[in-house]
Amino acid sequence: MSRNLIELTRRHHEGAAPTALALLKTAVEDHGKITADDIRDAAAASGLPEATVYGVTTFYDDLKGPRGARHVRACSGTACFAATAGTHIERLGAGLGVGLGEVAADGSVSFGEAVCLGFCHSSPAFIDGTTVLAGPHALESLLAGRPSAAGEPDWISLLSEPVLTRTGDWSGLARALHELQPEQLLAEVEAADVRGRGGAGFPAGVKWRFTRAAPGAVKFIVANGDEGDPGSYIDKYLMERNPNLLLEGLALAGYAVGAAHGYILVRSEYPLSKPVLERAIRQAHADGWLGSDIRGSGFDFDIAVVEGAGSYVVGEETALLACLQGLRGTVSARPPFPAERGVQGMPTVVNNVETLANIPFIARRGAQAYHDLSPGSKSAGSKLVCFNERFNRPTVYEVPFGMTMRQLCEEVAGGIRDGHTVKALQIGGPLGGILPAGLLETAFDFEPLAAEGCMVGHGSIVAFDETTDMRALTVHLLEFGAHESCGKCFPCRIGLRRAHEMFSTGAPVDRQRFEELLETLELGSLCAHGSGMPAPLRSLLRHFPGELGLAG
Amino acid sequence: MQLTVDGLQVQVADGATVLDAARQAGAWVPTLCFDERQAPFGACRACMVAVDGTPKPVPACTTLCREGMVIDTNDPASRRVARTVVELVLSELPSAPAPHTELAQVAARLGVSGSRWSGAVHPVDHDLRHPYLAFQHELCISCGRCVRACDEVQGAFALTAVGRGFEANVAAGIGSGFLESSCVSCGACADTCPTDAITERLLLDGSINGGPPPEAPRLRERR
Repeated sequence: MSRNLIELTRRHHEGAAPTALALLKTAVEDHGKITADDIRDAAAASGLPEATVYGVTTFYDDLKGPRGARHVRACSGTACFAATAGTHIERLGAGLGVGLGEVAADGSVSFGEAVCLGFCHSSPAFIDGTTVLAGPHALESLLAGRPSAAGEPDWISLLSEPVLTRTGDWSGLARALHELQPEQLLAEVEAADVRGRGGAGFPAGVKWRFTRAAPGAVKFIVANGDEGDPGSYIDKYLMERNPNLLLEGLALAGYAVGAAHGYILVRSEYPLSKPVLERAIRQAHADGWLGSDIRGSGFDFDIAVVEGAGSYVVGEETALLACLQGLRGTVSARPPFPAERGVQGMPTVVNNVETLANIPFIARRGAQAYHDLSPGSKSAGSKLVCFNERFNRPTVYEVPFGMTMRQLCEEVAGGIRDGHTVKALQIGGPLGGILPAGLLETAFDFEPLAAEGCMVGHGSIVAFDETTDMRALTVHLLEFGAHESCGKCFPCRIGLRRAHEMFSTGAPVDRQRFEELLETLELGSLCAHGSGMPAPLRSLLRHFPGELGLAG
Repeated sequence: MQLTVDGLQVQVADGATVLDAARQAGAWVPTLCFDERQAPFGACRACMVAVDGTPKPVPACTTLCREGMVIDTNDPASRRVARTVVELVLSELPSAPAPHTELAQVAARLGVSGSRWSGAVHPVDHDLRHPYLAFQHELCISCGRCVRACDEVQGAFALTAVGRGFEANVAAGIGSGFLESSCVSCGACADTCPTDAITERLLLDGSINGGPPPEAPRLRERR
């Protein structure tokens, strides 16, 4: 990230200037496209150079225009692919009579894709303006001009004492402020071995320790609510059903680290999340849980919510920080780590939403109680998992670590619907490996899944039934990979495009050359997007080689 | 601090990168996005090297040295990555880079003579309206050196990265070209460009204001 640009944003932030990205989003929503004048205005108001703002306009999906008076998008996520093999996208385009990325001649409607709307329990999903429709009849009602918002199933906890699905009540912060010094809270979080729930599994306590130790007059806590993983709707549920738990987790992190400001970056594909969180923040201020001198403790903390603009890689922490400051959401090489130079160049903790939602329990009950939540596992705490529409009872479940994938799929989610069978599962998001039906005895836990080339990741479980064409799945995954590459590092920028081309043309794929490419992606990429994409591809090569159309 | 590069002991200052150490030891590490006048960027991934015998190579330009580190610049996996990266880069250009360019020289030294990859290439797009600078966008490999030169060295902020994924490129101003940008004609972008996507035009080369594409006339030879 350019130090000069960060300094420019810091200075303008002091004057409460909006970010360039926020201004550009407003322009698109207002008149369907971004004009040269919009760019100049956004540059003047945000304090960024015009060229920099132009660069921002070309990065995010949401800023691509032109748009019609009505903007309709089909979900291109993996759960929707598993449900329809992608046919719902073509059917929407045909029904609207508009090509993908185009506007009707009379400007009445435009048609696009959204990379996962988080309605994976009811695929296929569509979004008409800000109304999400989902389910087998969604397309018909949308085309008939009767869009009605889809419902979402309740979440369920398998724990006798729910942690993440228990409504946040600020009791963890209350205890911490009265009974724990910041250093004691930090030690408790370290002892709890909280591993990041966003995908990488990095210990939260280590990030906190670095940030606390880093010199800086101002520090920040950032909640990563950019749950871009197709097939996941865990953070969506947390943000929309349990916002106080997240706010409390942020405040606790601020208390432990010595930060007075928090941010939540939510993805724009979840139009309900930001208003729910903002309402909860207002209520928390009114109740004295946020603001200055919280409950007479001398601790100050406030939280602002920022919405993304359509980019998967913004879920990577350095790209997230760039997006938060209104810049292009590209990845930066580390060091410097956010713990040293994050928001406004100051020490910053970036934790996933679910990670932060674990903290109130630890503050209230301590590290040992947290370890005891998963008695059959080395991993501490509980985990939210979610299932796609192929299952009989798809929703978000709170589970202990260590159950087998078969238990989760059959006993918890009720098996596959309509007499179909599981062909394979993709676990943990688009960068997670693919587990064939023959390996369902594998335990849902960090090490056992890693041994099969898979991961806990963010906890989504997407089933593909026996009708799934594995080459089509490969094309689907690579289309996502190439579309979402931020364009910074060369292996990912060019390599994922070439990999997609190898499979999408229908020609036999030179296996040796493909594997050379996978090695370069894995070893050479700057972030987990490029280095993680090979995991599901290697699973497919290993378990379904006969279905991929390989040569050599 | 003391460390080893390809079996040679070297002494480096605190804060030195693995690339600094390798260069101090006289070892060649291929780079495309690196310019010693700019902060390391870590984009091209050609500079991978092995450290301490671990199987996962690291980028030399953005990895800091540690006391006692053992660096191997000839690690086979690292070199495979570098060659594949260069081959991929060559595959995105509609024509081979001119032999004097840094890209062509790195490719030659790695023994990469062409690309086995077919597929999309960057569309030909020339900005030839500026009196001193020409931009051939199809030769841009998004190394970011010009953008950083304009930001970190000149402070003119006339350039930006644009697009994402394979469509990534660089633009001047609000996409309208150098002439309508905040460019001050310093030439730092052309000076650092490893592919001649941006070149300086001689005042009197007869190709000003919409003339034919420049035959890359240069004010001075690149090292």
